[in-house]
Amino acid sequence: MNINEKIKVQVIGIILPLLILVLWQYVVSAGYVSYHILPLPGKVISKFIRLFTQEKLLLHIAVSLKRVFYGFFIGTVSGFLFGLLMGLSRTSEKIFGPFFHTVRQVPLIGWIPLIVMWFGMNELPRILIVAIGAFYPTTMNTFAGVRSVPRQYVELASVYGFKGIKLIRRIILPSALPSIVTGFTLSLGMSWVVLVAAELLIETNVGIGKLIDVGRETFNMELVTVGIITSGLLGFIMTKIVEKLASGTQKGMVSDQKQ
Amino acid sequence: MIQSLFQRFNWKDGLLALIVPLLVLVVWQSAVSMHLFSPLLLIPPLTLVNTLLYLASSGDLTINIIASLNRVLIGFLIGASTGFLLGLFMGLSPFVDRFFGPVIKAFKQVPQFALMPLIILWFGVDELAKFVFIGIGAFFPMVFNTYQGVCDVPKKYCELARVFNYNGCHYLSKVILPSAMPSIITGIRFSLGLSWMLVVGAEIFGADTGLGYMMACSRNMFQIDIVMAGLVVIGAIGFGINLVLQIIEKRVLRWRITSDQGAKGNS
Repeated sequence: MNINEKIKVQVIGIILPLLILVLWQYVVSAGYVSYHILPLPGKVISKFIRLFTQEKLLLHIAVSLKRVFYGFFIGTVSGFLFGLLMGLSRTSEKIFGPFFHTVRQVPLIGWIPLIVMWFGMNELPRILIVAIGAFYPTTMNTFAGVRSVPRQYVELASVYGFKGIKLIRRIILPSALPSIVTGFTLSLGMSWVVLVAAELLIETNVGIGKLIDVGRETFNMELVTVGIITSGLLGFIMTKIVEKLASGTQKGMVSDQKQ
Repeated sequence: MIQSLFQRFNWKDGLLALIVPLLVLVVWQSAVSMHLFSPLLLIPPLTLVNTLLYLASSGDLTINIIASLNRVLIGFLIGASTGFLLGLFMGLSPFVDRFFGPVIKAFKQVPQFALMPLIILWFGVDELAKFVFIGIGAFFPMVFNTYQGVCDVPKKYCELARVFNYNGCHYLSKVILPSAMPSIITGIRFSLGLSWMLVVGAEIFGADTGLGYMMACSRNMFQIDIVMAGLVVIGAIGFGINLVLQIIEKRVLRWRITSDQGAKGNS
């Protein structure tokens, strides 16, 4: 693709966002739609700046990120260990697999009422539900990764007398890594979606989900819009970071193989 | 098919699979018998069964199930069909892809539930808001999977179609759609699964019928038996939806399995 064509692709891609923006500005300023229903784009930007400088947007973001981090950490670590166990031993897969897949059928959000009854309206149920959301993708992808380690690798390892931890560390994990990393990425996306739901459905004072809901309660469309855009941006940035880290680990693996 | 299922059923595996559920039941029942937790927080397993039977016989459950399924069905149909059409056109035409692609990818970044307050402000709290909310959720998996499926149609099929001079309709129904079908069905599965989760969330947030409403309402009144019964029911329905789609997938994609085997036979 030459440079001219690249520019053409970008120009086509920018038409629709511009069109939306112009139409948005037009319908509101011409009075077709009340600015209570649709705030002006400029107002949204100034609200964003005001939130950032005066109204503690960073605090909301920090609290949400902290919840996601704890939930993600608990969910992926336990999911990784569980997936590894089921991947390594066929007996444990037969014991835990059917139960795991049965419980997995319950939609994540459905756990919220029960968890709230058990643990009350505080941080714990929010972190727990995020952890459950992060648990499933990591478990399944770790399991799949371990199971698809080529048989030759394991045979070669047994020739060299690799056993136990050494076998897992040197053969199984490096080979299963791409699939495990995919699991982490999916888990992160899920964590973020579930967190916003948890902040809406489990009473709280701070957090990006709560911020959006405050906007709804006070009929402040600018706040709602800023909240939605912020939550989308944060999700995007987190996914990008994990993808960067993931490609880093995979590069490390390739250079290892070259040596 | 059922017969072959029974033939394949391995009794040893079946017994192994029963270990964890039995263990859970034993621990659960003994925790109840030893009064480790308040009866407000943990009910005996048998009470759960009784609650389920009671809810089923009183008709409450049926009303709520129908309300939830109705929302999922309509929201899913709206979202998935628009997603399918857009994905199809994006796959067929690079221009449409470049035109809509960036905007759709940007919108996809927003967590579904972040949109709920906005949708409620725009559409109110009644059914329409729920259809829109579920529809948006169902839209994205369908767009991306249809698009991927259409993009992955092997070039040689398209060339062959050109040789045979297939016109638009024929080309779609004989070449593109069959070839993209596995990916499209994956999209339907993701999209329906997500819809089922979103409807429960939307009903917990605010509704006057539905399984999510039933659970949220019982939570407020501290009726843990109904909350747990609701959990079992939404899990069972989620399982049922998945099962039906798997059966449909097997039926629709039967040709793929046989043609794969044919390919193996040739090589």
